[in-house]
Amino acid sequence: MAESPSGSRPEVYWPKPVAVSADAAGAPVAVGDVAVEAVREEWLVEDRWWTPRPLQRRYFEIVLADGRDIVVFREPAEPPEAGRWFEQRA
Amino acid sequence: MIACALIPRLSLTSALGDRREMLRAPVAVAPEPGGPQVIGEASGPAEAFGVRAGMRLAEALARCPALVLVAADPVRAEAIWEGSLARLERLGAAVEPTRPGEAFFATEPLRGLYGGTEAVLAQARRALGAWVRLGAGPNRICAHAAAARMRARRGPTVIAEQAAKRVLAGLSVSVLRDRLEGEWDGRSTNHAAPRREAEEAACVDSLERLGVRTLGELATLPADAVADRFGRAGLRALRLARGGEEPLRPRAPREQLACELRLPEAASGQQLEHALGLLVDRLLAHPARRARMLRRLRIEARLAGGGGWRTETTLRSASANPERLRLALAPRLAELPGPATTLRLRALELGPEAGEQGALSRSPEDERRNRVAEAVRQARAAGGRDAVMRVVEVAPGSRVPERRAILAPFTEERDG
Repeated sequence: MAESPSGSRPEVYWPKPVAVSADAAGAPVAVGDVAVEAVREEWLVEDRWWTPRPLQRRYFEIVLADGRDIVVFREPAEPPEAGRWFEQRA
Repeated sequence: MIACALIPRLSLTSALGDRREMLRAPVAVAPEPGGPQVIGEASGPAEAFGVRAGMRLAEALARCPALVLVAADPVRAEAIWEGSLARLERLGAAVEPTRPGEAFFATEPLRGLYGGTEAVLAQARRALGAWVRLGAGPNRICAHAAAARMRARRGPTVIAEQAAKRVLAGLSVSVLRDRLEGEWDGRSTNHAAPRREAEEAACVDSLERLGVRTLGELATLPADAVADRFGRAGLRALRLARGGEEPLRPRAPREQLACELRLPEAASGQQLEHALGLLVDRLLAHPARRARMLRRLRIEARLAGGGGWRTETTLRSASANPERLRLALAPRLAELPGPATTLRLRALELGPEAGEQGALSRSPEDERRNRVAEAVRQARAAGGRDAVMRVVEVAPGSRVPERRAILAPFTEERDG
């Protein structure tokens, strides 16, 4: 994940790193200490496949046990992000 | 019958000026400084690459890497177009301008003056010149199609009522893009209009993708199915495809009240402010003002580097106070993208003749604006200039959310 283009200034929709535990199939089961109640939707975004740094994200819209409805995604398995999870307004 | 007056690619030819030979190459009007990053009108060779007006700049360049962009000259295009509209109005026509280079007017009220529809068109042609295309039909789409088909040697064409259905059936659904979008140009006052406009453009794109290529094919679809799939936008498209029409909404003819100053050398900064001060004085001394106050003004400039620029200011209350006008207009000069060679000040709306009188109570909108401006000042005092930013949508449909919008500095005059 690249740095925010404006440095320290918050950007709209910019993804925030988040700790997610996933099951064997790669679906999130907990965000931090909060369990995932349901996966509402799942989709894949692939872009810039013609560049040396293609973008590939597997998005999940999930409902947490505390009632929050959030969207998380996982970066591909290649470094430097190597499977890191992010939360994003989508 | 509705008549259409058409000047194809007016914005592009105005921007090119005497470089008309460039029309043989892929060329398009560049986005206006400070405006959305979409291109303006494109030449025929550019359209052959799939480039069209309103397309995002990045997409246009991806489709046609050799595309040449020319600086927009909206001031010149508008001057040409305004002249044409005024000539039509002098004939007695109640003109509905939809976009620069395209206007409609009803021929019925003029038939008593000039004869039949053909005679009205012939009169209009004499007034406008042979380079303006004219046509007439029972609705706007047919009239536009007739004007677009006109050839200089053969004169204006008229599509008769009986032939309208056949002509409509053969037209591409892409003609709806102009009609659906055009219905909101300059008329919508509510905030839902841009979203509606986008829905309607998306409706035409979807129709094309689904293989509905002509208005005839669209007209045969059941209304309930179109409503289910496309909602209100689809029903409007269907009504137009079946020959339905909304009444013309002609503009109110207005007086031209403008002053121009040629600058001896390309000017900027204080020189420009001084020139603006002179223009304010001249406009206030203009005999056509007849002691009325000014409510909405436009500053126009011809740029030393080519092209033109314009910006509008609406005063919270109409005024004829030179000091107040200068204070309202001078900050706008900071938006000028380059040194100017000509500066023009135009009054777009005039207020009443009476002297200024403050309102006993402010309108809720003024109250809200003042509160927002005060909140912005306070937030900036506490958190610095970046404490208040404006969200600018740059690619609202992007699948990658962080590309959809960026944060830009919040300006109190424009955003408050």
